[in-house]
Amino acid sequence: MSTEITELLYVTREPAWAPWAVQYFFLIGLSFGSFLLTLPGIAFGRETWRPLGRAALLGALACGLVAPVALLSDLNQPGRFLNFYLHPAGSSWMAWGAFFIPAYVGALILYALVALAPDFAAAAMSGGPLAPVRRLLSGPARPRLLAVLGLVTLTAAFTVALYTGVEVMVVRARPLWNTALLPWQFVATALAGSIGLALLLARFALGLGPEIDALGNRLLALAALVVVALGAAWFALAFLQPTGPEARALAQVGGSSRWFTSAAWLGGATVAALVVAVVRPVGTGWLTGLLALNAAWLFRWTIFVGGQDMPKTGAGLYAHPLALGPEGFLGIVGTAGLFLAVVVILTTLVPWSGSAEVARPSTSLVGA
Amino acid sequence: MTASRRDFLRSLGRVTAGAPVALAAGVAPALAEAAPVHHWAMVVDVAKCIGCQACTVACIHENRVPENAFRTFVTTWEVAEADRISTAVLPRLCNHCDAPPCVPVCPVGATFKAAGGEVLVDADRCVGCGYCVQACPYDARFINAETRTADKCTFCAHRVAAGLLPACVETCVGGARIFGDLADPKSTVSKLVTERAKDVRVLKPEEGTKPNVFYLGLDERFASRVDAVPTLWHPAAERV
Repeated sequence: MSTEITELLYVTREPAWAPWAVQYFFLIGLSFGSFLLTLPGIAFGRETWRPLGRAALLGALACGLVAPVALLSDLNQPGRFLNFYLHPAGSSWMAWGAFFIPAYVGALILYALVALAPDFAAAAMSGGPLAPVRRLLSGPARPRLLAVLGLVTLTAAFTVALYTGVEVMVVRARPLWNTALLPWQFVATALAGSIGLALLLARFALGLGPEIDALGNRLLALAALVVVALGAAWFALAFLQPTGPEARALAQVGGSSRWFTSAAWLGGATVAALVVAVVRPVGTGWLTGLLALNAAWLFRWTIFVGGQDMPKTGAGLYAHPLALGPEGFLGIVGTAGLFLAVVVILTTLVPWSGSAEVARPSTSLVGA
Repeated sequence: MTASRRDFLRSLGRVTAGAPVALAAGVAPALAEAAPVHHWAMVVDVAKCIGCQACTVACIHENRVPENAFRTFVTTWEVAEADRISTAVLPRLCNHCDAPPCVPVCPVGATFKAAGGEVLVDADRCVGCGYCVQACPYDARFINAETRTADKCTFCAHRVAAGLLPACVETCVGGARIFGDLADPKSTVSKLVTERAKDVRVLKPEEGTKPNVFYLGLDERFASRVDAVPTLWHPAAERV
């Protein structure tokens, strides 16, 4: 006997995490990936990685400084952020994150200051209105300290990656989030996005030539391959394990054309970045960079906004149109604007491209 | 006087009798230790619910629930089977679970299990992060747009403390909602849960949350996420 049930009366629940959350997870992921990208060239003195590493350091700093602002903005009571430290609850991954984020950002700033100290010294010699500030931040090259700080920051970066992934993964009530692959997907898309960001910053903020594209695109192709493999594994698990979490998630998003459009776009952008990076690795960094960034952002949008579109008890999908105010569109634009402002400040204050190479004698100690 | 109210008042009497004397003698801590522990619960007899939403309205008025948010709601479906069409209803509220997923995720300990088993929110401590809203499998929580903190059904803890029934129970036209103390074996809720154990269901048992809201006569098809043609209602979207 066929039965048709029609929901006559139920209510839409507003999403608890606004697009600010998407921005936070996007930016902190980019900062994490960018920092990893700095390690060979900056912390361990691999010369071939150095230009890309410097662009990545700019990205790691800018994203790392803006991400906590986005996170704070997603709180409905941002003025009470001190409660994270006054009443921490050890059972909550979010509570641990409140300690991991400042540890990571603090270590990253220290790492960057030590890495850039010789550049500040060289730039301070040339005078100008910023010379006093640069003199204050200047210092000799300290390769051993830099390596140690790199490892300390790496540890802190891993705690951030761990908490951001697990914090979302443990939410059993949202099948789309509650899969063991999710933290790995966050990491893989963050790595791809951060390589894309480094390629864009190298070209447009640091004025480096297209020769940097070869290394960047090679890495990007690898990261994109991992993203595609993880996506394929997710769908494979969903089909092969009918009672598994991935199958639960797919069953819930099955009727959502919006979700499938986002997922298809995400897959398309990743594959396109992969193909372009492999077929034409030089001179295309701006394009592969944009594609990778787009995919990294869209992955988080699909997970967070798409995940909250699904009622936990009701039928169908919640209709959550993007609000135009600070809680929606303006929040996204505002975060992007803040990121650009920080990049402008950092590129004004820090001698990223010119003086760094002027100071080669002092930094040659870290050479391979 | 309904059975729910009668046994509810009886169980309150067990706590408050003798309290003034004890307090006067300066033995309040001893009293606190000796006080019987409640285990508040609700039984919803679905067959008695007429879907009038009086509970929804009473809750909104009692708890000043803002627009677009509900602490309790009666979901209503049309069920078409062969040539028969019927209506199904399901009053929903926080299940005040014994294994609440919302409690461990709260980063500042603002969400907690009270002594009587109610899951409550310390609105002065809550940072409004929304993590508990995500973790609740029943969509029973929301961020209050006015207080900017997590909000949910409290079993009307303020009324219960004053010896009153929760507003939804008080107003229920058909007497479908029965509130009481599971720790008292003589209470109606205890008797219903034990004597009609075969008929008793909880929502989403697969989540392992051990709810304290029990349903009598609940069709299994409505216990979890319902496979239905959706008609979600968004009050503010309909305002002209």
